[in-house]
Amino acid sequence: MADPGLTAALQALRQAARRSSVARRFDADAEQALLQTIVDATVALFEAEASSIALFERDPDRLEFRVAAGAQGAGAIGLSVPPSKGIVGFVFSTGQPLALSDVLSDPRFDRATAERTGYVPRSIAAVPLIDRDQPVGVLQVLDKHTSPTFSLRDMELLAVFARQAAAALRAARVTRDTHELFRSVLARLAGDDASEAEVEAVVSAVTSQLDTDEEIPFWQLVDRVAQLRDLSDRELRLVTDILEVVAAHAGRGPRSV
Amino acid sequence: MTDPILPAWSEPFALASRDKLLRPAAMQKMDREWAWGGATGSGVKVAILDSGVEAGHPVVGGRLVQSVAVQVIDDEATVVPDDPIDMYGHATACAGIVVGLAPEVEIYSVRVLGADLRGKGAAFLAGLEWAVEQGVQAMNLSLSSKSERLFPFFHEIVDQAYFRNVALVCAVNNVPGLSFPSTFSSVFSVAAHSIPDPEAFFYNPSPPVEWGAWGVDVPIGWKDGGTTVATGNSFAAPHICGLVARILSKHPGLTPFEVKTVLAAVASDPATTRG
Repeated sequence: MADPGLTAALQALRQAARRSSVARRFDADAEQALLQTIVDATVALFEAEASSIALFERDPDRLEFRVAAGAQGAGAIGLSVPPSKGIVGFVFSTGQPLALSDVLSDPRFDRATAERTGYVPRSIAAVPLIDRDQPVGVLQVLDKHTSPTFSLRDMELLAVFARQAAAALRAARVTRDTHELFRSVLARLAGDDASEAEVEAVVSAVTSQLDTDEEIPFWQLVDRVAQLRDLSDRELRLVTDILEVVAAHAGRGPRSV
Repeated sequence: MTDPILPAWSEPFALASRDKLLRPAAMQKMDREWAWGGATGSGVKVAILDSGVEAGHPVVGGRLVQSVAVQVIDDEATVVPDDPIDMYGHATACAGIVVGLAPEVEIYSVRVLGADLRGKGAAFLAGLEWAVEQGVQAMNLSLSSKSERLFPFFHEIVDQAYFRNVALVCAVNNVPGLSFPSTFSSVFSVAAHSIPDPEAFFYNPSPPVEWGAWGVDVPIGWKDGGTTVATGNSFAAPHICGLVARILSKHPGLTPFEVKTVLAAVASDPATTRG
Protein backbone atom coordinates (compact mmCIF):
# COMPACT_ATOMS: atom_id res chain seq x y z
CA MET A 1 0.00 0.00 0.00
CA ALA A 2 1.24 3.47 -0.80
CA ASP A 3 2.00 5.80 2.08
CA PRO A 4 -1.23 7.86 2.57
CA GLY A 5 0.80 11.00 3.36
CA LEU A 6 2.70 10.62 0.12
CA THR A 7 -0.47 10.03 -1.86
CA ALA A 8 -1.99 13.20 -0.43
CA ALA A 9 1.18 15.16 -1.20
CA LEU A 10 1.20 13.90 -4.79
CA GLN A 11 -2.46 14.79 -5.09
CA ALA A 12 -1.76 18.33 -3.88
CA LEU A 13 1.14 18.68 -6.30
CA ARG A 14 -1.04 17.44 -9.15
CA GLN A 15 -3.63 20.07 -8.34
CA ALA A 16 -0.97 22.77 -8.17
CA ALA A 17 0.40 21.62 -11.51
CA ARG A 18 -3.01 21.74 -13.10
CA ARG A 19 -3.67 25.21 -11.71
CA SER A 20 -0.37 26.54 -12.95
CA SER A 21 -1.06 24.94 -16.30
CA VAL A 22 -4.41 26.70 -16.50
CA ALA A 23 -2.78 29.96 -15.47
CA ARG A 24 -0.14 29.54 -18.15
CA ARG A 25 -2.85 28.93 -20.70
CA PHE A 26 -4.52 32.16 -19.66
CA ASP A 27 -1.30 34.08 -19.99
CA ALA A 28 0.01 32.53 -23.19
CA ASP A 29 -0.86 35.57 -25.24
CA ALA A 30 0.53 38.03 -22.68
CA GLU A 31 4.09 36.85 -23.28
CA GLN A 32 3.54 36.90 -27.02
CA ALA A 33 2.06 40.41 -26.91
CA LEU A 34 4.98 41.80 -24.91
CA LEU A 35 7.52 40.31 -27.27
CA GLN A 36 5.59 41.58 -30.26
CA THR A 37 5.71 45.14 -28.89
CA ILE A 38 9.48 44.86 -28.64
CA VAL A 39 10.06 43.68 -32.21
CA ASP A 40 7.57 46.29 -33.50
CA ALA A 41 9.52 49.01 -31.72
CA THR A 42 12.84 47.58 -32.94
CA VAL A 43 11.75 47.66 -36.58
CA ALA A 44 10.42 51.20 -36.26
CA LEU A 45 13.46 52.57 -34.48
CA PHE A 46 16.06 50.91 -36.68
CA GLU A 47 14.03 51.47 -39.85
CA ALA A 48 14.73 47.85 -40.66
CA GLU A 49 13.30 45.26 -43.03
CA ALA A 50 12.60 42.86 -40.19
CA SER A 51 13.12 42.08 -36.52
CA SER A 52 12.41 38.84 -34.70
CA ILE A 53 12.86 37.05 -31.39
CA ALA A 54 13.84 33.40 -31.12
CA LEU A 55 13.45 31.63 -27.79
CA PHE A 56 15.33 28.54 -26.62
CA GLU A 57 13.21 25.42 -26.29
CA ARG A 58 14.24 21.91 -25.27
CA ASP A 59 13.56 18.39 -26.57
CA PRO A 60 15.01 18.80 -29.05
CA ASP A 61 17.25 21.81 -28.26
CA ARG A 62 16.28 24.57 -30.67
CA LEU A 63 15.80 28.29 -31.09
CA GLU A 64 12.24 28.95 -32.12
CA PHE A 65 11.21 32.23 -33.75
CA ARG A 66 8.18 33.35 -31.78
CA VAL A 67 7.46 36.90 -32.97
CA ALA A 68 8.51 39.03 -35.89
CA ALA A 69 7.82 42.46 -37.34
CA GLY A 70 8.62 44.42 -40.47
CA ALA A 71 7.93 43.98 -44.15
CA GLN A 72 10.15 40.89 -44.35
CA GLY A 73 9.59 39.51 -40.86
CA ALA A 74 6.55 37.26 -41.10
CA GLY A 75 8.30 34.33 -42.77
CA ALA A 76 10.45 33.69 -39.71
CA ILE A 77 7.62 32.95 -37.27
CA GLY A 78 7.45 29.32 -36.22
CA LEU A 79 10.84 28.54 -37.74
CA SER A 80 13.35 26.65 -35.58
CA VAL A 81 17.13 26.62 -35.90
CA PRO A 82 19.62 24.43 -34.00
CA PRO A 83 21.61 26.37 -31.37
CA SER A 84 24.78 25.03 -32.95
CA LYS A 85 24.25 26.89 -36.21
CA GLY A 86 24.25 30.33 -37.71
CA ILE A 87 24.44 33.77 -36.19
CA VAL A 88 21.45 33.26 -33.93
CA GLY A 89 22.93 30.00 -32.63
CA PHE A 90 26.29 31.63 -32.08
CA VAL A 91 24.91 34.61 -30.20
CA PHE A 92 22.79 32.30 -28.05
CA SER A 93 25.65 29.89 -27.34
CA THR A 94 28.24 32.52 -26.49
CA GLY A 95 26.08 35.33 -25.12
CA GLN A 96 28.16 37.61 -27.37
CA PRO A 97 26.38 40.27 -29.48
CA LEU A 98 27.31 40.20 -33.16
CA ALA A 99 26.52 41.95 -36.42
CA LEU A 100 27.34 40.79 -39.92
CA SER A 101 26.98 42.78 -43.10
CA ASP A 102 27.75 41.82 -46.64
CA VAL A 103 26.24 38.45 -45.75
CA LEU A 104 25.59 37.72 -49.41
CA SER A 105 29.29 37.75 -50.23
CA ASP A 106 29.36 34.29 -48.73
CA PRO A 107 26.85 32.20 -50.67
CA ARG A 108 26.92 29.44 -48.06
CA PHE A 109 26.23 31.69 -45.11
CA ASP A 110 23.09 30.53 -43.38
CA ARG A 111 21.33 30.67 -46.69
CA ALA A 112 19.22 27.56 -46.18
CA THR A 113 17.61 28.97 -43.04
CA ALA A 114 17.25 32.44 -44.51
CA GLU A 115 15.59 31.10 -47.63
CA ARG A 116 13.04 29.21 -45.55
CA THR A 117 11.85 32.60 -44.29
CA GLY A 118 11.44 33.82 -47.84
CA TYR A 119 13.97 36.60 -47.29
CA VAL A 120 17.77 36.53 -47.51
CA PRO A 121 19.19 39.59 -45.71
CA ARG A 122 22.29 41.57 -46.57
CA SER A 123 23.03 42.42 -42.95
CA ILE A 124 22.08 41.04 -39.53
CA ALA A 125 22.58 42.24 -35.96
CA ALA A 126 21.82 39.87 -33.09
CA VAL A 127 22.01 40.15 -29.30
CA PRO A 128 21.27 37.57 -26.61
CA LEU A 129 18.30 37.73 -24.22
CA ILE A 130 19.77 37.02 -20.79
CA ASP A 131 17.66 35.95 -17.84
CA ARG A 132 19.42 35.37 -14.51
CA ASP A 133 22.79 34.90 -16.21
CA GLN A 134 21.41 32.36 -18.67
CA PRO A 135 20.76 33.07 -22.34
CA VAL A 136 17.09 32.35 -23.06
CA GLY A 137 16.85 33.60 -26.63
CA VAL A 138 18.06 36.02 -29.27
CA LEU A 139 16.77 39.32 -30.67
CA GLN A 140 17.77 40.02 -34.25
CA VAL A 141 17.38 42.83 -36.76
CA LEU A 142 17.77 42.49 -40.52
CA ASP A 143 18.77 45.19 -43.01
CA LYS A 144 18.49 48.82 -41.96
CA HIS A 145 17.05 51.02 -44.69
CA THR A 146 19.41 53.85 -43.81
CA SER A 147 22.74 52.02 -43.77
CA PRO A 148 24.27 48.81 -45.12
CA THR A 149 25.87 48.06 -41.74
CA PHE A 150 25.21 48.31 -38.00
CA SER A 151 27.10 50.80 -35.86
CA LEU A 152 28.28 50.40 -32.25
CA ARG A 153 25.43 52.67 -31.24
CA ASP A 154 23.01 50.31 -32.99
CA MET A 155 24.42 47.37 -31.05
CA GLU A 156 24.12 49.24 -27.79
CA LEU A 157 20.53 50.18 -28.51
CA LEU A 158 19.67 46.66 -29.53
CA ALA A 159 21.12 45.41 -26.23
CA VAL A 160 18.73 47.78 -24.41
CA PHE A 161 15.77 46.30 -26.31
CA ALA A 162 17.02 42.80 -25.51
CA ARG A 163 17.09 43.69 -21.82
CA GLN A 164 13.47 44.80 -22.08
CA ALA A 165 12.52 41.59 -23.81
CA ALA A 166 14.28 39.47 -21.19
CA ALA A 167 12.54 41.36 -18.37
CA ALA A 168 9.17 40.90 -20.07
CA LEU A 169 9.81 37.20 -20.49
CA ARG A 170 10.79 36.77 -16.88
CA ALA A 171 7.57 38.38 -15.76
CA ALA A 172 5.42 36.33 -18.12
CA ARG A 173 7.16 33.05 -17.46
CA VAL A 174 6.60 32.66 -13.76
CA THR A 175 4.08 29.93 -14.38
CA ARG A 176 5.28 28.98 -17.81
CA ASP A 177 7.12 25.76 -17.26
CA THR A 178 5.45 23.68 -14.59
CA HIS A 179 7.62 20.70 -15.36
CA GLU A 180 10.86 22.62 -14.91
CA LEU A 181 9.56 24.33 -11.78
CA PHE A 182 8.72 21.05 -10.06
CA ARG A 183 11.95 19.47 -11.14
CA SER A 184 14.13 22.23 -9.74
CA VAL A 185 12.19 22.56 -6.48
CA LEU A 186 12.09 18.82 -5.84
CA ALA A 187 15.74 18.34 -6.74
CA ARG A 188 16.70 21.09 -4.32
CA LEU A 189 14.51 19.73 -1.52
CA ALA A 190 15.77 16.19 -2.01
CA GLY A 191 19.43 17.25 -2.13
CA ASP A 192 21.64 14.16 -2.18
CA ASP A 193 18.87 11.90 -0.85
CA ALA A 194 17.33 11.28 -4.26
CA SER A 195 18.80 10.48 -7.66
CA GLU A 196 17.91 12.45 -10.75
CA ALA A 197 15.81 9.48 -11.93
CA GLU A 198 13.79 9.45 -8.69
CA VAL A 199 13.09 13.19 -8.95
CA GLU A 200 12.12 12.74 -12.59
CA ALA A 201 9.72 9.90 -11.63
CA VAL A 202 7.90 12.17 -9.16
CA VAL A 203 7.80 15.06 -11.65
CA SER A 204 6.33 12.89 -14.36
CA ALA A 205 3.77 11.41 -11.90
CA VAL A 206 2.68 14.95 -11.12
CA THR A 207 2.72 16.43 -14.61
CA SER A 208 1.87 13.45 -16.81
CA GLN A 209 -1.74 14.50 -17.05
CA LEU A 210 -0.92 18.00 -18.28
CA ASP A 211 -1.08 19.06 -21.88
CA THR A 212 -1.12 15.49 -23.12
CA ASP A 213 -3.74 16.40 -25.65
CA GLU A 214 -4.11 20.00 -26.70
CA GLU A 215 -7.52 19.27 -28.22
CA ILE A 216 -9.31 17.82 -25.20
CA PRO A 217 -12.52 19.71 -24.38
CA PHE A 218 -11.18 20.93 -21.02
CA TRP A 219 -8.34 22.91 -22.62
CA GLN A 220 -10.65 24.22 -25.30
CA LEU A 221 -12.85 25.52 -22.51
CA VAL A 222 -9.88 27.14 -20.76
CA ASP A 223 -8.91 28.83 -24.03
CA ARG A 224 -12.45 30.08 -24.56
CA VAL A 225 -12.59 31.48 -21.05
CA ALA A 226 -9.24 33.18 -21.62
CA GLN A 227 -10.80 34.95 -24.59
CA LEU A 228 -13.63 36.33 -22.45
CA ARG A 229 -11.48 38.80 -20.54
CA ASP A 230 -12.43 41.73 -22.72
CA LEU A 231 -16.17 41.23 -22.33
CA SER A 232 -18.31 43.80 -20.52
CA ASP A 233 -19.54 43.12 -16.97
CA ARG A 234 -23.02 42.42 -18.27
CA GLU A 235 -21.78 39.85 -20.78
CA LEU A 236 -19.56 38.25 -18.15
CA ARG A 237 -22.56 37.92 -15.80
CA LEU A 238 -24.47 36.18 -18.56
CA VAL A 239 -21.60 33.73 -19.16
CA THR A 240 -21.35 33.10 -15.42
CA ASP A 241 -25.10 32.30 -15.26
CA ILE A 242 -24.73 29.83 -18.12
CA LEU A 243 -21.74 28.19 -16.47
CA GLU A 244 -23.65 27.86 -13.20
CA VAL A 245 -26.41 25.95 -14.95
CA VAL A 246 -23.82 23.70 -16.62
CA ALA A 247 -21.98 23.19 -13.32
CA ALA A 248 -25.21 22.26 -11.52
CA HIS A 249 -25.90 19.75 -14.25
CA ALA A 250 -22.36 18.33 -14.02
CA GLY A 251 -22.80 17.97 -10.24
CA ARG A 252 -25.67 15.56 -10.82
CA GLY A 253 -24.04 13.45 -13.52
CA PRO A 254 -20.82 11.41 -13.53
CA ARG A 255 -17.62 13.52 -13.27
CA SER A 256 -15.73 13.56 -16.50
CA VAL A 257 -13.01 16.16 -16.02
CA MET B 1 74.12 45.51 5.42
CA THR B 2 72.48 42.10 5.27
CA ASP B 3 68.96 41.46 4.30
CA PRO B 4 66.71 40.38 7.10
CA ILE B 5 64.82 37.14 6.59
CA LEU B 6 62.15 37.99 4.09
CA PRO B 7 58.91 36.25 3.29
CA ALA B 8 59.10 34.42 -0.04
CA TRP B 9 57.05 37.04 -1.85
CA SER B 10 59.54 39.75 -0.94
CA GLU B 11 62.59 37.78 -1.89
CA PRO B 12 62.74 39.00 -5.51
CA PHE B 13 63.23 42.52 -4.15
CA ALA B 14 66.18 41.64 -1.88
CA LEU B 15 69.52 43.09 -2.96
CA ALA B 16 71.02 39.69 -3.73
CA SER B 17 68.34 38.83 -6.24
CA ARG B 18 67.46 42.25 -7.48
CA ASP B 19 69.39 41.86 -10.72
CA LYS B 20 66.57 39.59 -11.88
CA LEU B 21 64.33 42.60 -11.94
CA LEU B 22 66.34 44.29 -14.69
CA ARG B 23 64.25 45.04 -17.76
CA PRO B 24 65.25 46.29 -21.20
CA ALA B 25 66.33 49.92 -20.95
CA ALA B 26 64.25 50.70 -23.99
CA MET B 27 61.11 50.24 -21.90
CA GLN B 28 61.67 53.86 -20.98
CA LYS B 29 61.52 55.15 -24.54
CA MET B 30 59.39 52.74 -26.46
CA ASP B 31 57.94 53.22 -29.88
CA ARG B 32 56.22 50.83 -32.25
CA GLU B 33 59.46 50.12 -34.07
CA TRP B 34 61.00 48.92 -30.81
CA ALA B 35 57.80 47.18 -29.71
CA TRP B 36 57.22 45.06 -32.80
CA GLY B 37 59.19 46.43 -35.78
CA GLY B 38 59.96 43.52 -38.14
CA ALA B 39 58.13 41.05 -35.87
CA THR B 40 55.96 38.37 -37.45
CA GLY B 41 54.71 36.49 -34.43
CA SER B 42 57.31 33.81 -35.15
CA GLY B 43 57.88 31.49 -32.18
CA VAL B 44 54.65 32.54 -30.46
CA LYS B 45 51.89 30.01 -29.79
CA VAL B 46 48.40 31.49 -29.70
CA ALA B 47 45.36 29.51 -28.57
CA ILE B 48 41.95 30.40 -30.00
CA LEU B 49 39.23 29.27 -27.56
CA ASP B 50 36.14 29.34 -29.70
CA SER B 51 34.11 27.39 -32.25
CA GLY B 52 37.07 25.55 -33.85
CA VAL B 53 39.41 27.07 -36.47
CA GLU B 54 38.95 25.96 -40.08
CA ALA B 55 42.37 24.61 -41.15
CA GLY B 56 42.26 25.26 -44.88
CA HIS B 57 40.73 28.74 -44.75
CA PRO B 58 42.87 31.29 -46.64
CA VAL B 59 42.77 33.79 -43.73
CA VAL B 60 44.41 31.22 -41.42
CA GLY B 61 47.39 31.04 -43.77
CA GLY B 62 48.24 27.44 -42.91
CA ARG B 63 49.26 28.46 -39.37
CA LEU B 64 46.99 26.02 -37.52
CA VAL B 65 49.18 23.44 -35.77
CA GLN B 66 46.71 21.60 -33.52
CA SER B 67 42.95 21.25 -33.08
CA VAL B 68 41.30 19.95 -29.95
CA ALA B 69 37.77 20.03 -28.59
CA VAL B 70 36.43 19.83 -25.06
CA GLN B 71 33.81 17.17 -24.46
CA VAL B 72 31.62 17.46 -21.39
CA ILE B 73 29.90 14.28 -20.22
CA ASP B 74 28.19 14.30 -16.81
CA ASP B 75 30.08 17.45 -15.76
CA GLU B 76 33.37 15.70 -16.60
CA ALA B 77 35.33 17.66 -19.19
CA THR B 78 37.93 15.95 -21.37
CA VAL B 79 40.10 17.39 -24.13
CA VAL B 80 40.08 15.27 -27.30
CA PRO B 81 41.56 15.69 -30.79
CA ASP B 82 39.16 17.52 -33.10
CA ASP B 83 38.59 17.86 -36.84
CA PRO B 84 39.83 21.27 -37.97
CA ILE B 85 36.40 22.58 -38.93
CA ASP B 86 34.47 25.58 -37.65
CA MET B 87 30.99 25.18 -36.17
CA TYR B 88 30.04 28.80 -36.84
CA GLY B 89 32.88 30.69 -38.53
CA HIS B 90 33.68 32.74 -35.44
CA ALA B 91 36.94 31.00 -34.47
CA THR B 92 38.20 31.24 -38.04
CA ALA B 93 37.39 34.96 -38.06
CA CYS B 94 39.39 35.49 -34.85
CA ALA B 95 42.33 33.32 -35.98
CA GLY B 96 42.36 35.17 -39.31
CA ILE B 97 42.66 38.56 -37.61
CA VAL B 98 45.53 37.32 -35.39
CA VAL B 99 47.36 35.78 -38.39
CA GLY B 100 46.72 38.96 -40.40
CA LEU B 101 48.75 40.95 -37.86
CA ALA B 102 51.26 38.25 -36.94
CA PRO B 103 51.56 35.98 -40.00
CA GLU B 104 54.01 33.50 -38.44
CA VAL B 105 52.24 32.66 -35.18
CA GLU B 106 51.33 29.06 -34.39
CA ILE B 107 47.59 28.69 -33.88
CA TYR B 108 46.17 26.17 -31.42
CA SER B 109 42.44 25.72 -31.88
CA VAL B 110 40.50 24.77 -28.75
CA ARG B 111 36.83 24.18 -29.54
CA VAL B 112 34.70 24.92 -26.49
CA LEU B 113 31.44 25.57 -28.32
CA GLY B 114 29.36 22.79 -29.72
CA ALA B 115 25.97 21.20 -30.03
CA ASP B 116 25.85 20.26 -26.34
CA LEU B 117 25.10 23.55 -24.60
CA ARG B 118 24.82 22.10 -21.13
CA GLY B 119 28.14 22.44 -19.35
CA LYS B 120 29.62 24.86 -21.81
CA GLY B 121 31.07 26.89 -18.92
CA ALA B 122 32.84 23.71 -17.84
CA ALA B 123 34.13 23.21 -21.40
CA PHE B 124 35.44 26.77 -21.52
CA LEU B 125 37.24 26.26 -18.22
CA ALA B 126 38.78 22.93 -19.26
CA GLY B 127 39.89 24.44 -22.59
CA LEU B 128 41.56 27.33 -20.78
CA GLU B 129 43.35 24.90 -18.48
CA TRP B 130 44.51 22.77 -21.40
CA ALA B 131 45.89 25.74 -23.33
CA VAL B 132 47.84 26.98 -20.27
CA GLU B 133 49.31 23.46 -19.90
CA GLN B 134 50.45 23.51 -23.54
CA GLY B 135 52.62 26.54 -22.84
CA VAL B 136 50.94 28.93 -25.27
CA GLN B 137 52.08 32.54 -24.78
CA ALA B 138 48.79 34.19 -25.73
CA MET B 139 45.13 33.29 -26.01
CA ASN B 140 42.19 34.90 -27.69
CA LEU B 141 38.92 34.56 -25.78
CA SER B 142 36.16 36.21 -27.78
CA LEU B 143 33.61 34.65 -25.46
CA SER B 144 32.82 34.74 -21.77
CA SER B 145 30.99 32.84 -19.07
CA LYS B 146 28.19 34.04 -16.83
CA SER B 147 28.09 31.01 -14.57
CA GLU B 148 28.36 32.23 -11.00
CA ARG B 149 29.17 28.70 -9.86
CA LEU B 150 32.31 28.67 -12.02
CA PHE B 151 33.57 32.10 -10.96
CA PRO B 152 36.18 30.84 -8.44
CA PHE B 153 37.48 28.22 -10.88
CA PHE B 154 37.92 30.82 -13.61
CA HIS B 155 39.63 33.10 -11.15
CA GLU B 156 42.10 30.39 -10.22
CA ILE B 157 42.98 29.37 -13.77
CA VAL B 158 43.30 33.00 -14.92
CA ASP B 159 45.76 33.61 -12.08
CA GLN B 160 47.68 30.49 -13.09
CA ALA B 161 47.83 31.77 -16.67
CA TYR B 162 49.13 35.12 -15.46
CA PHE B 163 51.86 33.54 -13.35
CA ARG B 164 52.92 31.41 -16.31
CA ASN B 165 53.20 34.47 -18.56
CA VAL B 166 50.20 33.71 -20.72
CA ALA B 167 48.53 36.84 -22.08
CA LEU B 168 44.75 36.26 -22.03
CA VAL B 169 43.06 38.61 -24.47
CA CYS B 170 39.31 38.77 -23.82
CA ALA B 171 36.42 40.42 -25.63
CA VAL B 172 34.22 42.19 -23.11
CA ASN B 173 30.54 41.41 -23.23
CA ASN B 174 28.22 44.41 -23.47
CA VAL B 175 25.35 42.46 -21.97
CA PRO B 176 24.92 43.51 -18.34
CA GLY B 177 25.74 41.28 -15.40
CA LEU B 178 28.70 39.24 -14.34
CA SER B 179 30.89 38.15 -17.23
CA PHE B 180 34.32 36.63 -16.98
CA PRO B 181 37.20 36.27 -17.42
CA SER B 182 36.96 39.55 -19.37
CA THR B 183 36.39 41.57 -16.19
CA PHE B 184 39.37 40.09 -14.29
CA SER B 185 42.21 42.52 -13.74
CA SER B 186 45.06 40.43 -15.16
CA VAL B 187 43.51 39.87 -18.60
CA PHE B 188 43.59 42.16 -21.63
CA SER B 189 39.94 43.18 -21.89
CA VAL B 190 39.01 44.63 -25.25
CA ALA B 191 36.03 46.52 -26.66
CA ALA B 192 35.46 47.75 -30.21
CA HIS B 193 36.17 51.10 -31.87
CA SER B 194 35.23 51.90 -35.44
CA ILE B 195 38.49 53.15 -36.97
CA PRO B 196 39.16 50.81 -39.91
CA ASP B 197 42.81 50.20 -39.08
CA PRO B 198 44.02 46.91 -37.54
CA GLU B 199 46.89 48.72 -35.81
CA ALA B 200 44.83 51.56 -34.34
CA PHE B 201 44.20 50.79 -30.69
CA PHE B 202 43.74 52.74 -27.49
CA TYR B 203 44.70 52.28 -23.88
CA ASN B 204 41.97 53.15 -21.41
CA PRO B 205 43.24 53.94 -17.90
CA SER B 206 39.74 53.42 -16.45
CA PRO B 207 39.21 49.66 -16.14
CA PRO B 208 37.69 47.16 -16.50
CA VAL B 209 37.94 47.66 -20.28
CA GLU B 210 41.57 48.59 -20.84
CA TRP B 211 41.83 48.31 -24.63
CA GLY B 212 39.90 49.54 -27.63
CA ALA B 213 40.57 48.00 -31.06
CA TRP B 214 38.89 47.81 -34.46
CA GLY B 215 35.61 45.91 -34.18
CA VAL B 216 33.16 47.61 -36.54
CA ASP B 217 32.64 46.44 -40.12
CA VAL B 218 35.72 44.25 -39.98
CA PRO B 219 36.29 42.03 -43.03
CA ILE B 220 36.62 38.50 -41.66
CA GLY B 221 36.95 34.88 -42.71
CA TRP B 222 33.78 32.90 -42.01
CA LYS B 223 32.87 29.24 -42.28
CA ASP B 224 33.47 26.99 -45.30
CA GLY B 225 36.15 29.22 -46.78
CA GLY B 226 33.77 32.19 -46.90
CA THR B 227 34.23 35.80 -45.93
CA THR B 228 31.92 38.47 -44.54
CA VAL B 229 32.00 41.78 -42.69
CA ALA B 230 31.27 41.78 -38.97
CA THR B 231 30.79 44.04 -35.97
CA GLY B 232 31.35 43.06 -32.35
CA ASN B 233 33.86 43.11 -29.51
CA SER B 234 34.61 39.55 -30.64
CA PHE B 235 36.57 41.00 -33.55
CA ALA B 236 38.31 43.73 -31.55
CA ALA B 237 40.00 41.27 -29.17
CA PRO B 238 41.98 39.37 -31.86
CA HIS B 239 43.47 42.66 -33.09
CA ILE B 240 45.02 43.18 -29.65
CA CYS B 241 45.92 39.47 -29.55
CA GLY B 242 47.78 39.79 -32.88
CA LEU B 243 49.74 42.80 -31.63
CA VAL B 244 50.53 40.97 -28.38
CA ALA B 245 51.88 38.05 -30.46
CA ARG B 246 54.10 40.45 -32.41
CA ILE B 247 55.47 42.00 -29.21
CA LEU B 248 56.13 38.57 -27.70
CA SER B 249 57.88 37.35 -30.82
CA LYS B 250 60.24 40.29 -30.71
CA HIS B 251 60.63 40.25 -26.91
CA PRO B 252 60.18 36.68 -25.73
CA GLY B 253 59.55 36.24 -22.04
CA LEU B 254 57.82 39.55 -21.36
CA THR B 255 55.17 39.11 -18.68
CA PRO B 256 51.53 40.00 -19.35
CA PHE B 257 52.03 43.05 -17.14
CA GLU B 258 55.01 44.14 -19.24
CA VAL B 259 53.17 43.50 -22.48
CA LYS B 260 50.39 45.75 -21.19
CA THR B 261 52.99 48.39 -20.42
CA VAL B 262 54.45 48.18 -23.93
CA LEU B 263 50.99 48.34 -25.47
CA ALA B 264 50.04 51.32 -23.33
CA ALA B 265 53.26 53.09 -24.33
CA VAL B 266 52.72 52.64 -28.07
CA ALA B 267 48.91 52.94 -28.15
CA SER B 268 47.35 55.28 -30.70
CA ASP B 269 47.35 58.88 -29.58
CA PRO B 270 43.78 59.74 -28.63
CA ALA B 271 44.51 63.41 -29.30
CA THR B 272 45.60 62.97 -32.92
CA THR B 273 43.92 59.75 -34.09
CA ARG B 274 40.86 60.52 -36.13
CA GLY B 275 38.11 58.33 -37.52
